[in-house]
Amino acid sequence: MSSHAAELNLIPELAAQMVPIARLAEPQARRPTGIAALDGLLGGGWPRAALSEIFGRRSSGRTAIARAALIAALAVGEAAALIDAGGTLDARTAAESGLPLPALLWIRCAAAHALKAVDLVVAAGGFGVAVLDLCDARLRVPDAAWVRLRHAARAQGTTVLVATGTRRLGAFASAALELEGGHPAFLGPPSLFAGLGAQVTRVRGGHNRSDERAGNHSGDHENQPPCVSLAFTSRS
Amino acid sequence: MRLACVYVPQLALQAALRRSPEAHGTAAALLVATGKNKPRVTELDAQARRDGVRPGMTAAQASAVCPTLRLFAATIADAEAGAAALADVGYAFAPRVEREGERIFFAADDLSRLYPTGERAIAQALQAHAARLGFGARVALAATKGAARVATRAHELAVVPDDRAGTHDFLAPLPVHLFTDDPTLRTAFRRWGTRTAGAIAALPLDAVALRLGPAGAAVARLCRGQDDEPFAPQLPPDALEEAVELDYPIYEIEPLAFVLRGLVDRALSRLSGRGLACAGFTLRLLLDPRGLDLREIPLAAPTREAKTLVELVRLDLARRPPEAAVVGVHLIALPARVRATQLDILRPAGPAPDRLATTLARLAALVGPDNVGAPAPVDSWREEAIAMTPYTPGAPPGAPTSASTETRLCLRHRRPPEEIEVLMGRTGPTALRGQETTARVLVAAGPYRLSGEWWQDSASGGSWAREYWDVHASDGAVYRLHRDGRDGRFYLDGYYD
Repeated sequence: MSSHAAELNLIPELAAQMVPIARLAEPQARRPTGIAALDGLLGGGWPRAALSEIFGRRSSGRTAIARAALIAALAVGEAAALIDAGGTLDARTAAESGLPLPALLWIRCAAAHALKAVDLVVAAGGFGVAVLDLCDARLRVPDAAWVRLRHAARAQGTTVLVATGTRRLGAFASAALELEGGHPAFLGPPSLFAGLGAQVTRVRGGHNRSDERAGNHSGDHENQPPCVSLAFTSRS
Repeated sequence: MRLACVYVPQLALQAALRRSPEAHGTAAALLVATGKNKPRVTELDAQARRDGVRPGMTAAQASAVCPTLRLFAATIADAEAGAAALADVGYAFAPRVEREGERIFFAADDLSRLYPTGERAIAQALQAHAARLGFGARVALAATKGAARVATRAHELAVVPDDRAGTHDFLAPLPVHLFTDDPTLRTAFRRWGTRTAGAIAALPLDAVALRLGPAGAAVARLCRGQDDEPFAPQLPPDALEEAVELDYPIYEIEPLAFVLRGLVDRALSRLSGRGLACAGFTLRLLLDPRGLDLREIPLAAPTREAKTLVELVRLDLARRPPEAAVVGVHLIALPARVRATQLDILRPAGPAPDRLATTLARLAALVGPDNVGAPAPVDSWREEAIAMTPYTPGAPPGAPTSASTETRLCLRHRRPPEEIEVLMGRTGPTALRGQETTARVLVAAGPYRLSGEWWQDSASGGSWAREYWDVHASDGAVYRLHRDGRDGRFYLDGYYD
């Protein structure tokens, strides 16, 4: 960059502001996850205008990661929606973690209605992130539903995050993270639940800048660690 | 001042035809029953008149003359809805409207800015809008109410010149019977040999007043283009009503939804003409043989989508069916403006207000209006308490401007808490068994004792006291559970995730 600036005889202040065109395009393709370690794992964040998946067992941090994406979207003024199959949202912990509740569109519904609800939200347009929470849902989803949702997300520019217990989207997801819960930490006595750790593995998708410069767009990268460890803290 | 007059001849018949648009273009007549007498034809369209139907005929006589005749029974519901819809023609163009039977008047001075090609374009726009609401209307623009009224009687579309001389010239060739319905005055003018307004205008005004009284003098002044009748417009009503009285009782939801679709369509066409949307409505069902079923249908956001509104009603009816057959339906819609938003150059554009409103209404129809909105914490120590508030897109003032990097666990609530079996040891729970969980407890943290709402009576939930535990189970999850202090039972509140 600096050599190009020198060739163009730009003043140093202006040259310092220059960025490669590849980096200019990057934010349009990725959105921050709200967790720095995940941004690195996914090569910049969740893919925009696409389906992504977070799956893992209970207490592995799926909900926390999905909520971090909502917080990140709302923080930059985008509209965000949470389709909550089962109505499990805890307002208190959500507010404490920085989620602006009045700005969040929350739809609590039965699992059978969740896909239709996320279809409606995405089709409305203008939503940056829509989280489909199917963590506790026992629902058989036909492939056609994911195809339709992926097309809608692409058309409207919405990032759709699906949080589930087991991997459901397969190749329909542009990015997928598998979470493995670790041992929880307790403080005491008296014992207090302090938090837990989780191992996050990227099982699908993800670019990073070094790959783009190298022209590697395959999605799986040997030079990038495929997993990271995250620590989640409890409110206690 | 320029006044527009919209005249719908035979408003009662046209109001009845609004709910049967398929009858437009065919022979149609309105039957009115007076006392215990048989219903007789009072109003009929041009086709019926050509086929030989005449006012005063009974239904059997009219049908014998014209077998294809569509007969409508006059109902108060139709008449009221028709009159209100006629007023809405005016409210689509002006904030205040004066209603006068089959006519409305409103000020049309400012409309020249919208229709710079001339007043004839205004009249045509009015006529077209009336047609959209199901009315065949006559429209006139004039400087006075009297001139506009006469012009609508004489022409389908008329623009009376603004100045008095022009008005006089416009009215002069018109026959006298257009100026008054009083048979005495008509006879008197005919006896004098004055057949046109111009002839009456030529008579001395004092002499006419002396012989025919104030009513005759008013007609004579109108013929000269002079009219001092005051214009008294009114604001639109707060709600908009469409109604239908059924010929036969309806017992099932689907046929009722079919009837409702027509009502909703008509109400929405009136609202959209005024640039408004439906923010909620009340449904009044008349039951057979007597009784009333009143139900409020709230909407998450104003919408103009008929399908969504009908779906909401259908859901409400399915949830709480009427106690008896329905013989009449009244729909009272609450008008509201579709929210407009000012876009911010530094923030991403959110969902378009009208599309968002429709989406919220559809979501409410899908999952129920109480399940769509923005979450809000409740001022309570009950951990599972949460409220739903109306959703407004965009972060509120004071929202964080950058993404938080702290990763905090969420508690996933079960609502209501699930009753489980818990094996207690000396230091706390040692095993738990529920519908989806059977596990040993590896670590248990607690108890955390919480109680509250002792000030409430039992009908409102009453007081409560709980002992909470956070337990790490052998299935790997960290659960939140509590023992109810009143009955000693254990409940699973949810798990951390």
